[in-house]
Amino acid sequence: MLTFVVRRLLLAVPVLLGVVFVVMLTVELIPGDAVALMLGEHATPEAVARLRDYLGLDKPLCVRYAGYVARVVRGDLGRSIQQNRPVADELADAWPATLELTCAALVIAAIAGVAAGVVSAVWPNSLFDGIARVGSLFGLSMPVFWTGLVLIVVFALWLPWLPVGGAGSPAHLVLPAVTLALPSLAMVARMTRSSVLEVLREDYVRTARAKGVAEGLVVAKHALRNAAIPILTLLGLQAGQLMGGAVLTETVFSWPGLGRLMVKAIFARDYVLLQGAVLVFALAFVVINLAVDLAYGALDPRIARQG
Amino acid sequence: MNRARLALGAMLAAALAATVVLGAFAPAEAQKRGGTLTIVRPTDPVSLDPQLETTAPGAWVYFNMLEPLLTMDEKMQIRPALATGYEVLSPTKVRFKLRPGVKFHDGTPLNAAAVKFTFDRALRGNPPARWASLAGSLSGAEVVDDLTVDVTTREPYGPILRTLAMYCTGIVSPTAVQKMGEGFSRAPVGTGPFKFVEWKTNTHVILERNPDYWGDKAPLDRVIFKVVPEEGARMIALQTGDADMVLLPAPAQLPALAKDPKFVIHEVVGGRVVFAGMNAATPPLDDVRVRSALLHAVDRKAILDNILEGSAVPARGVLAPSVFGFKDMQLDRLYPFDRAKAKALLAQAGWTPGPDGILQKGGQKLSLSWLAARGRYPKDGEITEAIQAMFKDVGVEAKVQFLEWATVFTQFRSASFNHQMFTLGWVTSNADADYSLYALFHSRQVPPTGWNTSRYANPKVDTLVEQARRNMNQTEREKLYGETQDILAREMVWIPVYNTKEIVVTRANVKGFTVHPVEYNLWLGKTWLDK
Amino acid sequence: MPDRAAATLSQDTWQRFRRNRLALAGLVVVLALVVCAAGAPWLAPADPAKQSLIEKRARPSEKFLLGADEFGRDILSRIIYGSRVALLVGLLSVAIALGLGLVLGCLAGFAGGWLDVLIMRGVEILLAFPYLLLAIAVVSALGPGVLNTTIAVGIWGTPTVIRLVRGAVLTARESEYVRAARALGATSGRVLTRHVLRNILPTVIVYSTLFMANAILVEAALSFLGLGVPPPTPSWGLMVSSGRDFLLVAPHIATIPGLAIMVAVLGFNLLGDGLRDALDPRLRGQV
Repeated sequence: MLTFVVRRLLLAVPVLLGVVFVVMLTVELIPGDAVALMLGEHATPEAVARLRDYLGLDKPLCVRYAGYVARVVRGDLGRSIQQNRPVADELADAWPATLELTCAALVIAAIAGVAAGVVSAVWPNSLFDGIARVGSLFGLSMPVFWTGLVLIVVFALWLPWLPVGGAGSPAHLVLPAVTLALPSLAMVARMTRSSVLEVLREDYVRTARAKGVAEGLVVAKHALRNAAIPILTLLGLQAGQLMGGAVLTETVFSWPGLGRLMVKAIFARDYVLLQGAVLVFALAFVVINLAVDLAYGALDPRIARQG
Repeated sequence: MNRARLALGAMLAAALAATVVLGAFAPAEAQKRGGTLTIVRPTDPVSLDPQLETTAPGAWVYFNMLEPLLTMDEKMQIRPALATGYEVLSPTKVRFKLRPGVKFHDGTPLNAAAVKFTFDRALRGNPPARWASLAGSLSGAEVVDDLTVDVTTREPYGPILRTLAMYCTGIVSPTAVQKMGEGFSRAPVGTGPFKFVEWKTNTHVILERNPDYWGDKAPLDRVIFKVVPEEGARMIALQTGDADMVLLPAPAQLPALAKDPKFVIHEVVGGRVVFAGMNAATPPLDDVRVRSALLHAVDRKAILDNILEGSAVPARGVLAPSVFGFKDMQLDRLYPFDRAKAKALLAQAGWTPGPDGILQKGGQKLSLSWLAARGRYPKDGEITEAIQAMFKDVGVEAKVQFLEWATVFTQFRSASFNHQMFTLGWVTSNADADYSLYALFHSRQVPPTGWNTSRYANPKVDTLVEQARRNMNQTEREKLYGETQDILAREMVWIPVYNTKEIVVTRANVKGFTVHPVEYNLWLGKTWLDK
Repeated sequence: MPDRAAATLSQDTWQRFRRNRLALAGLVVVLALVVCAAGAPWLAPADPAKQSLIEKRARPSEKFLLGADEFGRDILSRIIYGSRVALLVGLLSVAIALGLGLVLGCLAGFAGGWLDVLIMRGVEILLAFPYLLLAIAVVSALGPGVLNTTIAVGIWGTPTVIRLVRGAVLTARESEYVRAARALGATSGRVLTRHVLRNILPTVIVYSTLFMANAILVEAALSFLGLGVPPPTPSWGLMVSSGRDFLLVAPHIATIPGLAIMVAVLGFNLLGDGLRDALDPRLRGQV
């Protein structure tokens, strides 16, 4: 298995290198110069030119790319152009917040989604099932930025139970995590329901029931075990989606995470900071995919053998 | 009997005098010491060092820690700060006497060497300070003795005093800069009434009272600047008491807050003009009749009443009233909202209505390309859309391209800018007309050299602003700028829309705070909390 | 034999679809959307661009059935016209994603080898690339506008299509049907193409409807971030975004367009689910 992990991580390297290059190239090609933007309306062309020279931004793209890669390999992610701080520091300030938000959302989506899905499957067409299915459909269809705004108005204004934005206490995490989790929760609930329903119809389950095994045991042992794989696939995909969705949610709730940092970096054309953020996201994707694959192997030995 | 009356008179006089003297010392309200003031604003600073940061997020904070030689009070009058007096020795040299006994937060003394250090670092450092571009002809400082320093300029520079009163020219402690190196940007050391405590990125900056301040010590114990990007969230924090003061409040909520005794709205006309600019180099806007027509087509009052809703005041010219040299261009008299007049002027210029209602001349539609960003200035996008609709009402089609600021800014700065209209805001950073009129309307200041995005060219205006720049006599300068603005008023290349109002909303228990026309000058040295 | 099976297949499909009430509801919503978009000039009570600043933020009334926005423009008319942007962006971006995705996916699946590796690494790079930057790049290169926003959304959807198509091609290649056909001497290309394309058709159809739902959300998000359609064209996402500032004083400005987005997305989701269940209930769990 170790070789599997190592091989996957090695395969990720060209992708990471590629992403960095494409990002650098894109920022180069689109209009907007980080230094000019920073200095703003009150900058003289000489001031802009001097600062660009000082920051080494006038060198050709390939030279800068090579330099960047060489430094990254040594662990130096460079300095943010706009913030004049090491990118590593900026990222270190921001990524725990995103991690916290994404994990919270994932946990909410997984637990609530699976629970709702299982209950729906065990009592299909009941009132709960009806509400859950309709609710899921709505959850899938609501734009994240709108849900966030509605939740703010209801839970932070009309019923001032929760804070409006920013981070700091567990209470601050509730609204953004729920907002982010909602679409995933809906999908997990639907997926769980259909997977568990299918499994419950299988012959071996009927056999188990006929043999008198308790319903709860049937569900837990057989249904979930076998429904786990598609649910897991979905969760793996969702983890990636959640990180991407974090951008909008972080904006609406002023959550000080990587998503917001990335948006700021893009609007400021601060490509050094942007690349750092992109690398972190890309690495996270790789790790998540790897984890999902490993979990597959654990759940279904047939897959592990193919690995 | 005469002596008795004299004695009585004397006693009465003494009593009166005593009352007056004592009265002068009695405070208007009983100022209370202590407390923490929490302020919310949208963004975190990039740096707290004017060397690296000249925008509001940083300035609001370091303005209370770093002090310049002079300062401008709320009436835009120049007042002594770290300098107690000045003397103009020559058109390129001004001598300042420094205040004795002032110490930096790290205990080192303020002296001429520190001033020279600050300016050398700013003008000749590598890279030079962000504010070096704002400083015009400033070339440096020479030490005469410990408390006397000569400030020099490269050429005669009339605006020098206001330049030295700018928020970003605060004197820094040379010892601290040399000791902390880059760390200084995150923890500056100055002479102000507050000193630095902590900065948690994207969350808050904390300042605390400087007990050794040379002037009236600050009543507050601490000030916390918090980052809250969402406007709605800032307002909610104010209402729940999480924040005591909101910078950049939500305009739509101001009317309700004004009626609520729990809050106080502090406002004053600020220094920024937001306008729709016209590119006078390309047809059809090179025709002054077309430009006038467009000015008549815009109902500025409707925009101010319905979009800005009291958060701004109508622009009365191309400068803000707080700027030295400002002249009211009387736009409401020269260009009142009058659609009929607009259409008449356009007809005079040869434009006739086409089949779809849009004017045309010689087969060409009167269609203007317009470049703007959203959210760079308050309601800039909304104003652009509103004016677009108003143009349509007189038969002018405006094709608006909204792009994000980085792209828009790049195009504005480009020599090949070819849009016919643009939306921009301009703040006169040193509150001196030279700063704006020269950069915005001198014919050689077309981007990227300067900011004459309208490509306006009038040799008379060129001469006037050049003369005014080199003149050290402030009265004469004012006259020259008045003439300039008269000419500009007749040939308008802008549709000025509004002057920002600097608006700060506080809870009612925040006292001793006055908002300043320059948005960066957020002075908290006299603020106190009435618990 | 394949043709008769196909006829029965579509009859069965339609039968299954008809019985699914939610799916029918989705179809109705989508059709309503199409009618709105096509008939906007006749359905809308007012000019969506006509401003009346004095009547800004008007509550729903006789004159403004759903109220007015911050410029005094009729929200109902803007919602109706906004369906054009939503549908246009949805349809065109799906076309782009399908077009690019089918070509590249088939290439990757059929050709295999280094071309497959190259394409798949490209897909991964695109997935790791920040979408906002992609959108800005497209808009900067091509200028703002409905069409160019569509291209940005289309490119966003391409990686998933590539993966889906490639997966279907790989599965089909190993299927018994194809092996049997090959054994009987049929040329690989024609057999594969017919079988593969027929196989992935249901997946593609279902994915398209679900993608359209997402496309509407992505366009709304882009408008929200300031990169959408130029004014005064109404876009639901932009309406929610500009209504944000007035959430406390006039919530209808942001809420109603948000509801419109939700209903449209819901419609497409229901339609997609219905199609999937009707075409092949076994597909559940894969798409």
